[in-house]
Amino acid sequence: MKQKVVEEETVFADAITPLRLNSRVVVWRDRRLLAILAGAALVVFSFALPMFTWRITAAQMTYSGGTQRSARFPLLIAGQHYAQKAPLAKKTLTDLQVTVAPVKEHRTSGYGWLAAILAERGALRQHASFVICLLMPLIAACLGAAFVGRLLRDGWSWPESWIPWLIRLAVLGVGGILLAWMHQFDFSDWLLILGGKALWPRVGFWGALAGALALLIGSWGLRRETQRAVSNWWVLVFAVALAVWLLTRVRPYPYWEIWTFIADGILVTLRIVTTSFGFILLVSLLGGLGRIAHSKFIYGIASLYVELIRGIPLLVQLLFIWFALPQVFDVIGAALQGISPALQGWGQWFIDLRLSPFTAAVLGLTICYGAYGSEIFRAGISSIHRGQMEAARSLGMTYFQAMRYIILPQAIRVILPPIGNEFVALLKDSSLVSVLAVSDLTRRGREYMARTFLSFDTWIMVALCYLVLTLFSSRAVEFIESKSKFER
Amino acid sequence: MGDHQSAGHSDPPIIQIRNLRKTFHHGRIVALDDISLDIPKGQVCVIIGPSGSGKSTMLRCINYLEVPDSGTIIVDGITLSEAKDINRARMEIGMVFQQFNLFPHLSVLDNITLAQRVVRKRSRQEAEDIAMDLLRKVGIPEKARAYPGQLSGGQQQRVAIARALAMQPKIMLFDEPTSALDPEMIKEVLDVMLQLAQDGMTMVVVSHEMGFARNAAHRILFMDDARIIEDSTPEELFNSPKEPRTREFLSKILH
Repeated sequence: MKQKVVEEETVFADAITPLRLNSRVVVWRDRRLLAILAGAALVVFSFALPMFTWRITAAQMTYSGGTQRSARFPLLIAGQHYAQKAPLAKKTLTDLQVTVAPVKEHRTSGYGWLAAILAERGALRQHASFVICLLMPLIAACLGAAFVGRLLRDGWSWPESWIPWLIRLAVLGVGGILLAWMHQFDFSDWLLILGGKALWPRVGFWGALAGALALLIGSWGLRRETQRAVSNWWVLVFAVALAVWLLTRVRPYPYWEIWTFIADGILVTLRIVTTSFGFILLVSLLGGLGRIAHSKFIYGIASLYVELIRGIPLLVQLLFIWFALPQVFDVIGAALQGISPALQGWGQWFIDLRLSPFTAAVLGLTICYGAYGSEIFRAGISSIHRGQMEAARSLGMTYFQAMRYIILPQAIRVILPPIGNEFVALLKDSSLVSVLAVSDLTRRGREYMARTFLSFDTWIMVALCYLVLTLFSSRAVEFIESKSKFER
Repeated sequence: MGDHQSAGHSDPPIIQIRNLRKTFHHGRIVALDDISLDIPKGQVCVIIGPSGSGKSTMLRCINYLEVPDSGTIIVDGITLSEAKDINRARMEIGMVFQQFNLFPHLSVLDNITLAQRVVRKRSRQEAEDIAMDLLRKVGIPEKARAYPGQLSGGQQQRVAIARALAMQPKIMLFDEPTSALDPEMIKEVLDVMLQLAQDGMTMVVVSHEMGFARNAAHRILFMDDARIIEDSTPEELFNSPKEPRTREFLSKILH
């Protein structure tokens, strides 16, 4: 057995020099590494091979002398415009008849062999193969993040187990992104050089299948570590962000165009959400304190606010603020002017008062979410044992000092998780302000769709943008939570 | 402790309670029924009685954690009624709770210094010097940087005493300070209280620790059914109680 190990080491010596550690396990890993690398190379090659065959056309040319020639051309845009690599001399072009037809035998579209697996033709084929093609870089991203996370956790030393990680990264990370990236390049020239055989899709298909099998077998033993890595949810944030990025890179039209169109909408959404969240915290704190107040009046006001607002849908509130509030202002202004000429100026001020869409949006979100936040603050504050307040008061602190130094610092740890969830909910519900002529993410999406009728692509892009924002903020909330725990 | 005055009985009493009445649940439960009591400066007064007899309520009324229905309370010359007066009086009254009520989000040192800085407006350095002195006094200076959750019950209660003392109060109220402790930790807390009594602090203690009552108390009150039934010295009360209700209670707790 020992003898065999040495033998195999010499055989693979060149390919795997850095991996020659000293155990049998490593030799098994070396073989697996070779299988994986070969498989990956095969996948990439076969993937590229039949790509963009629809950009090649066959032409039948009849010259004035009666000679006939057939040729293949790479087309820039099929059926409209073509370029010939070596144009004929001008004098022979006196009577030229050219019949151009797309190459009949091709069976793959511009998405490599993936398209061959799915369907013969149609838009569905393109979309589906595109999605599959995106999966690989996503998996690669997950593995990459997991690898870095593991290094961070275990320190930067190189444990013996670094090999499988590197293998996966090398193959799936680089390979996967490469596959998606290659979509923007035109390989039809290569196909012309390779000749007609290259258009035969089965070569690419079987090659890819063999490569994928090699990959699968090679990385089978590593699956458990992969599962653990994927459970790290930060990976999801990264993966979705990468999906957006790849969409814009791989299919610039329409995704890059959509992105440039809606990008300023993201900023508007973030501005509305962060501004109103600041006000919401303030209103929630006041509302929460009101809900636990001893004074019946303050308690009554706070309870009325909370019960009233929680019973009305946010959309209705927003519509009221935007459409009905100006009328209310007018009535107040007119009433003020009617009471006394001295109030003329104030009345006019009310009549002239108009909220900007941004102000109306922030106002609406603050009022609505402040009510929910008040309940969260109330629950958080009353979850702190009343002995804490008594101890603070017995030391001579005033009610507000006790709140400031004793109750709220403890309550904030209880409040943080639900208020973080409120933030995520607010981020999503901020899409409702698109009815107020605020050019937020959703509204920009609607505007783009109205221009181009690309409903599928537009809403996918908008959804992914929201997903990145919400996933990121919920992870951030989780992180802050884990940092603010303390021993009781 | 700021004050080392002996139990001089010629001064006006530091705590004066007149016709104190307190009810709960809209008058359905009477917790204190027309209580009047004077406690002179430097006296250690222990209150005993069955549960529900109103002893804790009375203690909490002295610093207005419970607002009485009627009656007057005068502490160190301050009549408690206005919020401002109450806070001024509370600075002179330290209170120790059964459940310690330390602030779990602050270190031991911060627990002791916070109120000094916020209420007494002392500098951080000054407050920390006082806190360390007190921690040495209660025997746990090495725990200054620890958090309450890392301490044993006895240590927590000693920190709570130090926290109350840091405000340099003239009166200390103890609300069953050893009831939530394991038996072996009771002594360390009682030792601190005993030391305090010897230093001449005015103390009102609600407790079932008869040993402490015998050794340290100048006066014992027996309460039952919202009234003070018997008011005498420890010797008299333990050896020859006057009221039959007191005899019955003592026979139950002194096996």
